[in-house]
Amino acid sequence: MIEAKNINKFYGNGDSKFQVLKNINLTIKNGDFAVILGASGSGKSTLLNVLSGLERPDSGEVLYDSANIAVFSDNELTKFRKNNIGFIFQQYFLLPNLNVRKNIKMGADLVGNTEYTAIIEALGLGEKMQKTPNELSGGEQQRVSIARALAKQPQVLFLDEPTGALDEQTGRQVLNYIAQLQAENGFTVIMVTHNHNIANMANTIISMNSGRVSDITQNQTPLNAYEIGW
Amino acid sequence: MVISIKDAAKLFGISIIACCAVLVCTLFLNFYFDIMQIKDLIVSQQAIAMYEAQISQVKVVCIATGGGLLLTSVVMLLFYIKNYIDTHKKSLGILKAIGYPNIKIAKHFWVFGLSVLLGSAIGFAGAFCLMPAFYAQQNSGSILPEVTINFHVSILFCLVILPAVLFAALAIIYAYFKLKRAVLALLKDSPSDTSTPKKHKDNGKKQLPFIKELQKSTLSQKKSLVFFVIFSAFCFSAMTQMSFKMRELSSEMMGAMMLLIGLALALSTLFIAITAVVRGNFKTIAIMRTLGYSQKECRYAILDGYRPMSYIGFAVGTLYQHFMLQIAVDVVFADFDNIPEYNFDFIAMFVSLAIFIAIYELLIFFYSEKTKKLSVKEIMLD
Repeated sequence: MIEAKNINKFYGNGDSKFQVLKNINLTIKNGDFAVILGASGSGKSTLLNVLSGLERPDSGEVLYDSANIAVFSDNELTKFRKNNIGFIFQQYFLLPNLNVRKNIKMGADLVGNTEYTAIIEALGLGEKMQKTPNELSGGEQQRVSIARALAKQPQVLFLDEPTGALDEQTGRQVLNYIAQLQAENGFTVIMVTHNHNIANMANTIISMNSGRVSDITQNQTPLNAYEIGW
Repeated sequence: MVISIKDAAKLFGISIIACCAVLVCTLFLNFYFDIMQIKDLIVSQQAIAMYEAQISQVKVVCIATGGGLLLTSVVMLLFYIKNYIDTHKKSLGILKAIGYPNIKIAKHFWVFGLSVLLGSAIGFAGAFCLMPAFYAQQNSGSILPEVTINFHVSILFCLVILPAVLFAALAIIYAYFKLKRAVLALLKDSPSDTSTPKKHKDNGKKQLPFIKELQKSTLSQKKSLVFFVIFSAFCFSAMTQMSFKMRELSSEMMGAMMLLIGLALALSTLFIAITAVVRGNFKTIAIMRTLGYSQKECRYAILDGYRPMSYIGFAVGTLYQHFMLQIAVDVVFADFDNIPEYNFDFIAMFVSLAIFIAIYELLIFFYSEKTKKLSVKEIMLD
């Protein structure tokens, strides 16, 4: 279970100091599909960074089964991300000089996963293994990014606007892959989006506004990627 | 403006080299012009021999120092511009995409000539400060008639103004040709050193661990960085060892000057090379850190691969300076009296190697610490 308790986060200093996260409290259960929903500038990406251990809050606790990662050292946070967290970003962040297989191996090697080629096949990338990222379409690059994240066998998968750079068809395909793989593997998904339609796929919808959690709703009837609007 | 003065200021390495080259060349050329003016007053056999020796020395020093440092500056300038275009290719791609022609963007690269102007102006002024002591040293036995210091405008023009203009022009021309790429190639996140991505046929091969594969790939894809690391180690090795030896082969003053110049040049090239290595791999390190690779693993995959290259550069530099000094002693100083016999200086080599390893490892450690807090957020904001 992931718990955020009284999280506050500031950026800047002096006159330009402003609060990005204001007293955030939330709980996400293991195996949940949670969406952090909000407009641009609402603090949703910062919250994702704090929950995933990419950034530390200025105050408050981020608890993973009672371990507070907010007080972890840099090395402890690196180790924590290595063993528990997977990331998928809107910009993919693949290594341009490496081919698809090596990019996915980047995730697999961290946890000693030698069976990662199954993920490559499952995501339909078998034919593209020798290609470099700039030879792939946006959807294919995002699939490589998903494969890299899943090859780490994460307990929690964080996604920051994963379909932001994709067209509707590819976006639905990518979301469908994620939902399917979550159903098969049971990891927790925490996805940031500004798209209300995508939020309908989640069990838990955390709405954010001006750095605060404005609402947390439990969705009893999540839709699949092809049922949601776009 | 595409490039700010701040960007040009980062080329301080070229300023240092220009300063050293102009300092030495101004000292010797000014002395050469001044000694030429008293040529008719030199009558004794001893003075004529001394005069001819001085003329030979001026030619050798100006060609070796000026030529060598000029070549180094050109390599550094071209490398820096290439690196600048690679790291700013998105901004440059956007300018091209909205319709700016290559030449209009390239014209802004003239500011890189300022680093040469600054360095050479300081070197020129510094030479005039050292000139009285230098003239006294060159005519220490008062064998020649008194040589008075004169100001020669032609030296100012040839060593300060002309190089700045030429380097500014070179920067514009080189940038113009480097910008001759498709807009999409600049905008897309494609490998910078290869215009067409290589096919990575690795089926059936024994698969290496990821960080080993990344190390190999980093070296093979960023060849210009590899070259620059080798080049900087080469400069360090050749300059420091040559400087140590010059203390024996020339005067104390000349030796000290060469040592200072050698160390300044060696340090600045090495610093620029390692800075470029880290900057060139900034994104990869950030992604690795985000995924959970430790600092040690990032260092192994990205930075450690350059170490053997630097030792290769050091070895080549050692051989180069040995043969250069051998030729200098055999050919140039052949007619000079009291020139000690030249032998390979193992002590100088081991001292230089020890200094090189210490500085290299310190710089790597410094940058490794700097990359500790890198996260993907840094490159998101890029």
